[in-house]
Amino acid sequence: MYEQIAKNRTKTVFIIIGFMVFITMIGFALGYYIDYRYGISGNYSILFMIFALILAIIMSFSSYYFSDRIVLGLTKARPISLEENPRIYYMVEGLSIAAGIPMPRIYMIEDTGMNAFATGRNPANGVVVFTRGLLENLNDEELKGVISHELSHIKNYDILLGTIIVVLVGMIAIISNIILRSFIFGGGRRRSSRSSGGGILSVIFLVLGLLLLILSPIIATLIRMAISRNREFLADSTGALISRYPAGLANALRKISKHSQVEVASNATAHLFIANPFGGKKAAFSNLFNTHPPAEERIKRLENMSLGVGV
Amino acid sequence: MLPGVIIAILVVSGIIIVLILVSIGIYNSMVSLRNKVNNSWSQIDVQLRKRYDLIPNLVETVKGYAKHERETLEKVINARNMGIDASSVKDQAKAENMITGALKSLFALSENYPNLKADQHFSRLMEQLNGIESSIAYARQFYNDMVMKFNTRIQTFPGNVFARIYKFTSRDYFEIEEPEARRPVEVKF
Repeated sequence: MYEQIAKNRTKTVFIIIGFMVFITMIGFALGYYIDYRYGISGNYSILFMIFALILAIIMSFSSYYFSDRIVLGLTKARPISLEENPRIYYMVEGLSIAAGIPMPRIYMIEDTGMNAFATGRNPANGVVVFTRGLLENLNDEELKGVISHELSHIKNYDILLGTIIVVLVGMIAIISNIILRSFIFGGGRRRSSRSSGGGILSVIFLVLGLLLLILSPIIATLIRMAISRNREFLADSTGALISRYPAGLANALRKISKHSQVEVASNATAHLFIANPFGGKKAAFSNLFNTHPPAEERIKRLENMSLGVGV
Repeated sequence: MLPGVIIAILVVSGIIIVLILVSIGIYNSMVSLRNKVNNSWSQIDVQLRKRYDLIPNLVETVKGYAKHERETLEKVINARNMGIDASSVKDQAKAENMITGALKSLFALSENYPNLKADQHFSRLMEQLNGIESSIAYARQFYNDMVMKFNTRIQTFPGNVFARIYKFTSRDYFEIEEPEARRPVEVKF
């Protein structure tokens, strides 16, 4: 448990540092380009680099503090109150006491698909999100299983890493997209106006362009590596320890895995959900590129737990 | 001769320093566990207090419909007062078992009064009470987990040595009597 928390914190720090380095490098490349293009002696590269570094620091801080709001906005979730749904409210309150964490805020996504996720930067700022379909179709024991799973993500600090990744990696994707486009257009114009401008510059930009092209699949792989599928298993077993009833989550997963599609989910947020929000189809073609372990495997492990002693 | 003495002194003082550091670590971890036990107890306390606050309200509502069920109502009130006065974990657990039992007979009684059952205020109170009771159960689970960790730490080596020196004592579990759960299953042919 504590090992997992430490791991998540370290990974978060690495990702933030990686992000800063990336943005600073972009700033430097941009400055270097301007220096070269307009022949001003090498001040812009340093200036742009410092500017980019400051920007990266501001972005990292704001993503640390506001990423949960961004994620909630991206998934169009809205808060639900005690009056609106006392059933879920009392369950979350009780289970968070059993987990020994402060009670998280409760949000809901208007979607008939069954899914759930947790977000926030630490347990004190935790949020659990359920779809309407999940709340309406699961019985009490199953719902408690799902809640316990999400609470253990909060307790393990999985939410910090998962949520920061959504925002920072999303920003990198946008920035590399912009640069790639401007490179294609800028390159075209330059070639037509000044045919002698090639040489080192075109080589540099070709390399930079290729680098960015390679980057997007690397980013996708990075997400999958950072968010190892093991943490779903870990959250399943910690969750069973909270609810003291592994069969509840196993039954819930059986129901969820058939109807887990959520419309508002995107590639950036998919890894947060308890079950693959694109439904079961993707899982069939490649196990390797999946953020979620197959439901059958999870159910099997949970059922083995209920046979075991002590829980 | 002299270098040998110096080395011996260095080794001995090194061992002493390591021992001191280790014992500081053990002591601190025991204190932090004890604080966790206390904190998880206050979690139970919060929920129990919520229930104490709710009971007079509930009794008043029931009184409006079922005046002559004085005995049952008094049992609930008495159990509540006992719970408020309880000082040790064992007394508290005993009082809570009494409250739970008394509330059960109150619900059973409400079955005889259709008007009471239909009362909106009453059904909302019941809903709240159910929520609080499950919270109490979860808080109890968390408290007992913490007590188990703490007790294991101070009863096993080397914790038991430090526990004796610093007077850490085992804590009581918050045990609940569930007559239905304890009764052996009757098999009929």
